[in-house]
Amino acid sequence: MRLLGYIFSQTFRSIWRNKLSSFLSSLTTGFALFLLGISFLVSINLGFMYEMAETQMEIQAYMDKEATQTQLASAVSQIREIPGVAEVKFVSKEDALEELKEMFKDKASVLDSLEEDNPLPPSVRIKTAGAEHIPAVVEALQAFDIVDDVMYQEEVSRRLVQIGKAVQYLSLGGMLVVGLVSVMVIANSIRLTIDARRQEIGIMKLVGATDGFVMTPFLFEGVLLGFLGSAIGTGFAVWVYNWVAMKIAEFIPFMPIVGLDPDALWQMFGIMALTGVMVGLAGSAFSVRRHLRV
Amino acid sequence: MISFRNVSKVYNGNVKALDRVSLQIDKGEFVFIVGASGAGKSTLIKMMYREETPSSGQVFVLGKDLAKMRKREVPYLRRRIGVVFQDFKLLKDKNAWENVAFALEVTGTPRREVNRRVTQVLNMVGLLDRRNAFPNELSGGEQQRIAIARALVRNPDILLADEPSGNLDPKTAMEIFAILERVNLYGTTVVVATHAHDIVDNLRKRVVELREGAIVRDERRGAYHY
Repeated sequence: MRLLGYIFSQTFRSIWRNKLSSFLSSLTTGFALFLLGISFLVSINLGFMYEMAETQMEIQAYMDKEATQTQLASAVSQIREIPGVAEVKFVSKEDALEELKEMFKDKASVLDSLEEDNPLPPSVRIKTAGAEHIPAVVEALQAFDIVDDVMYQEEVSRRLVQIGKAVQYLSLGGMLVVGLVSVMVIANSIRLTIDARRQEIGIMKLVGATDGFVMTPFLFEGVLLGFLGSAIGTGFAVWVYNWVAMKIAEFIPFMPIVGLDPDALWQMFGIMALTGVMVGLAGSAFSVRRHLRV
Repeated sequence: MISFRNVSKVYNGNVKALDRVSLQIDKGEFVFIVGASGAGKSTLIKMMYREETPSSGQVFVLGKDLAKMRKREVPYLRRRIGVVFQDFKLLKDKNAWENVAFALEVTGTPRREVNRRVTQVLNMVGLLDRRNAFPNELSGGEQQRIAIARALVRNPDILLADEPSGNLDPKTAMEIFAILERVNLYGTTVVVATHAHDIVDNLRKRVVELREGAIVRDERRGAYHY
């Protein structure tokens, strides 16, 4: 307990003594973690968009309205055999109508009249093992006599996936660079503390303080700087995100943006804090190894 | 208590600081290490608290072979050895009391025990009434007495002093040695490297003389010179 108190008081004293360098270290770490936060938020949104895109990656084959059950059943089993096909779902005329009713819940009564003479064609929804199979599968489907029309949105989904990957790589690269910089900045801040206390450290070792005891306040200081950085980074990232989301909602109202609920915020802060603490620990450990020579 | 067996120390490959030194110091002894500057006195003292390790030979202190001692064992050795320097090595931003208490705090001693021990040693060096003074408010002799108090606060088996009166006038130096002598009377082994002729001649203790890293004289009740 007494040791813990000592470590805490040492840490706060030295942070206070090197206010500017401590602040700059936290700020740099904060910036690195801001990038992390933004990329976290972007990837949440991309995941959301990707999910939507995946449904669009479905191929819909509309069948001949006059086809018999047996004809349809044999077509479905043949479609299953096409190379690259992963999932096949048959949607009957009745199913299609149910879905339509579901979509227009409040106006379902209008659709009631359709029950007598359902104009919707039966269809087959096909998912492929990957976007690259789509052209071949579409071609094969078009060869069926029973298939009236084939619909798919290949281009959109592929673009989205590409953009998502690019953004993730880019932010990962940026994070790595800024992360490395913040490790170094924290290391430097700790070095200043070590220099300021070199005489004290010498005396501590002379009177029999263990290496762990000598090092711990410095490691703790690094961890604290990293943690402060994560708070700065999270706050800034959330602020920027909300601002951008607001602007998007204003100008592109149909674009889906994931709102930040407290759960998501805490999860994000958890990731940020953990990263910040690790960056801080890495920086101070580097400096302690290099300059303390305990 | 302290035993050197054929110890040599070579710095940078060719500077010989100690040359086949063998020396036995028993519990409760008071030993002066004398010799010209650069004769190896400081190196000898530093080896006793494992600030330096020998290039060859063996050093035993408190029953431990220091050359074989692991780094993480060193702090526990030093808790049993007090060291005093020419330049006092006090922390300027701590007052007298805090400087002494520091030596106990860094090993997690309970506060009550710290208070008891610090009071005791400050009283012993006669500076309890100056406990709130900072080093820059203390005279050289007072600063050295604080440093001695710090070295003694853990009740060490051995007290090492490297030129403890090097920065002090003769009268103050005499006071410092009087304290060291009293410490020795209580049973602590005292080893002092010094240039202070008069005091060595006066106290008539064991004298070990070094010349160019080698022991040239070891007398029971010696003087500074032959």
